[in-house]
Amino acid sequence: MNEQLPAVEVTNLHVRFGDVEAVAGVDLAAYAGQATALLGRNGAGKSTTMRVLAGLVPPTAGTAVVAGNDVRREPLSVKRVTGYCPDVGGLVTRATAWEHLQLAARLRRMTEWEDRARDLLERFELGDAAHRVTGGFSHGMGRRLSVALAALHEPDVLLLDEPFDGVDPIGVEATLDVIADARARGACVLVSTHLRELAIEACGEVLVLRGGSRVATVRASDMSGEEGARAYRALLD
Amino acid sequence: MPTALSSTDAPPAVRTEFAWWRPVRDVGFLLQFRAAAVRRRSAFRWSALLLLLITVAVAIVPAYVPADDDRRLEIAVLMPTAMAGIFAISIVSAIASGGGRELISREQGVAFPVSPITDHLGALLLAPLNIAWLIQAWILLGASAYGALPEFLFTAQTVILLWLAVATAAAQVIAWVVEAVRRRSHGIFAMRSVLAGLAAVALWVQLTGRTTQTLDEIPTLWLWIAGIQGFTLGWFSAILLELVLLFCLIVLGSIPATLAARRLPHDELRAETDTHTPRPMPWTDLSALLRIDRASVWRAVPMRRGMAVLAVGPGLVAVVGGLPWSSITVLPGLVVSGGALLFGVNAWCLDGRGLLWRENLPIAPGTVFSVRALVIAEFLVIAALVTILLASVRAGVPTAAELTALGCTLVVVTLQVVGASMRWSDQRPYAVDLRSARATPAPPVMMVGYSARLALSTTFTGLLFSGLSRVPDPTVSLLVVVPFLAWSTMRLLRTRRRWIDPVERARIVTMVAA
Repeated sequence: MNEQLPAVEVTNLHVRFGDVEAVAGVDLAAYAGQATALLGRNGAGKSTTMRVLAGLVPPTAGTAVVAGNDVRREPLSVKRVTGYCPDVGGLVTRATAWEHLQLAARLRRMTEWEDRARDLLERFELGDAAHRVTGGFSHGMGRRLSVALAALHEPDVLLLDEPFDGVDPIGVEATLDVIADARARGACVLVSTHLRELAIEACGEVLVLRGGSRVATVRASDMSGEEGARAYRALLD
Repeated sequence: MPTALSSTDAPPAVRTEFAWWRPVRDVGFLLQFRAAAVRRRSAFRWSALLLLLITVAVAIVPAYVPADDDRRLEIAVLMPTAMAGIFAISIVSAIASGGGRELISREQGVAFPVSPITDHLGALLLAPLNIAWLIQAWILLGASAYGALPEFLFTAQTVILLWLAVATAAAQVIAWVVEAVRRRSHGIFAMRSVLAGLAAVALWVQLTGRTTQTLDEIPTLWLWIAGIQGFTLGWFSAILLELVLLFCLIVLGSIPATLAARRLPHDELRAETDTHTPRPMPWTDLSALLRIDRASVWRAVPMRRGMAVLAVGPGLVAVVGGLPWSSITVLPGLVVSGGALLFGVNAWCLDGRGLLWRENLPIAPGTVFSVRALVIAEFLVIAALVTILLASVRAGVPTAAELTALGCTLVVVTLQVVGASMRWSDQRPYAVDLRSARATPAPPVMMVGYSARLALSTTFTGLLFSGLSRVPDPTVSLLVVVPFLAWSTMRLLRTRRRWIDPVERARIVTMVAA
């Protein structure tokens, strides 16, 4: 049992879009200095849960508290303490990579941010494309820049939604490094993905969602290997 | 003995389909696909019926309006020029939209085998769903009904209806040719040279006083005369000629459309691979947001092309026509309405899927709304000012009343249009990628509805202030402007309140980023 207070605490979360219930009673607790994976099939409610935690979508019912801020009552405070990499796109097509970083730095009141921005761009091998409009970026380049943007201000809670989707091995490595760095400085990391192997590599704990609800919370090591794959497969059905 | 098909045999449905028939059938399938996506079917049916009724009414009623023969003759004399006018508008519209509108967007259509010929036929079908085309077509039909005697109404209107189809098909051919040339190396330079040459010729015609003589020599005169003489051999010949021309132009259009489809659009590619020198850190949050929103607007190909056509086109018409200041007052409404249709009516689509990331930035949603409204307003005002500047070349020095009325019109129509745009953007957001010159911020049918409503309100405002410009005291315009501004501001603030609501905003963001 973890004795520290959770950095992210979600209780009986429900999100409805008209007649569709995207999230149907998710509970989760994630802690500072740890990385937690949200695993599940398409439509399991992973991305919607991440959007709630990023302050984008208000919960229909239930509570979600991020670094002590209620997402419903204090969405701006939530946005200040989180760094969010959305599942789709996440970039303004006609702005350059540097303009994205500059806007994030300005609105997050960052000073001396250029060196960190350049470092992140180099780590994700985007240094040469810093001043290019992102509309011409490949899918993988876009994903990599989205992770860099989420990590730029060293947030207390790092929310990465499908960060490995379509990313080459070097980008995957850089993303794993960003997650490790965030954990090392005491940030809480949530990674939503359907790639079990990478989730295990990046995170210490795994939550499996199905049909908008949590069906299991297990240690990442329990999901590894063929035994883990079978267990995961059984949880999905 | 009957046998089953082998793996190399095509199924019967494929074997019996002729190659030329396939694009026509594909257009039908795409239309069904688009129709299935219509959200409010009842409103759609009523709108379609309304458009049909308006068309029938304008094509018949003016013929039975009491008028003296001289007045009818005056209108009849102008008909050949009006017929050429709609041809010119169709050309400009088709060229500005990079070959015409798409039945299915490039991003959606990438998974389907949509041929360039299908694309060409679809663009032809969608061409009338454009308020500039519709209004001109209605004016032409109305003028034709008025200018022809009631007994020749049928023959005149059949000629005019077929002319509308011929002019649209011919404009489509020209637009595809222009697009095919533009996509060659140095194609953009070549087309700009041609445009400059045409402008020089038009200027020469105007300066040498040959405008009337040139208009008199337009070949549409023969068609019009054939239409107003009843069931004569001339009418049968005209109808036959128009039908043959229409068929040939539709078929001919498939050649440049195919050529254009084989090449990549240079300006769109350049826009996607452009690099921009970094600028210093903005001083305020507001200027940071303004900078990124302006980048989204001014770096987009459809916005740049649209701005050029909208700002310069009406201005040149005003110069050639020598419009007085009282008439120039109507122009800002037209330009501002057209400008909003480039992106303003679905303003949040400027960010595309980037809106998800932007929504996680710690900034008050009200500020984001204000900046977006401001960026739309400045885009519209710049376009209108260019038009006014061009129109002023031959209009002389305005009186204080004319200048005040013009200023009031510009402020009112901008606020009206920004308010309507932001309201529609909140009510009906669409996931649209505005990279292509052919993209529109909303589906074609919605665009017709938006443009009709914008044109109605801004034309009314323009005409009102046009009347007020003739009142010697400029204070009158300043007094009349107050209720307009109060009403539009109130509606804009109401829309802003809706955007600030997190549930409402989440709905918009989710739909735009879908």
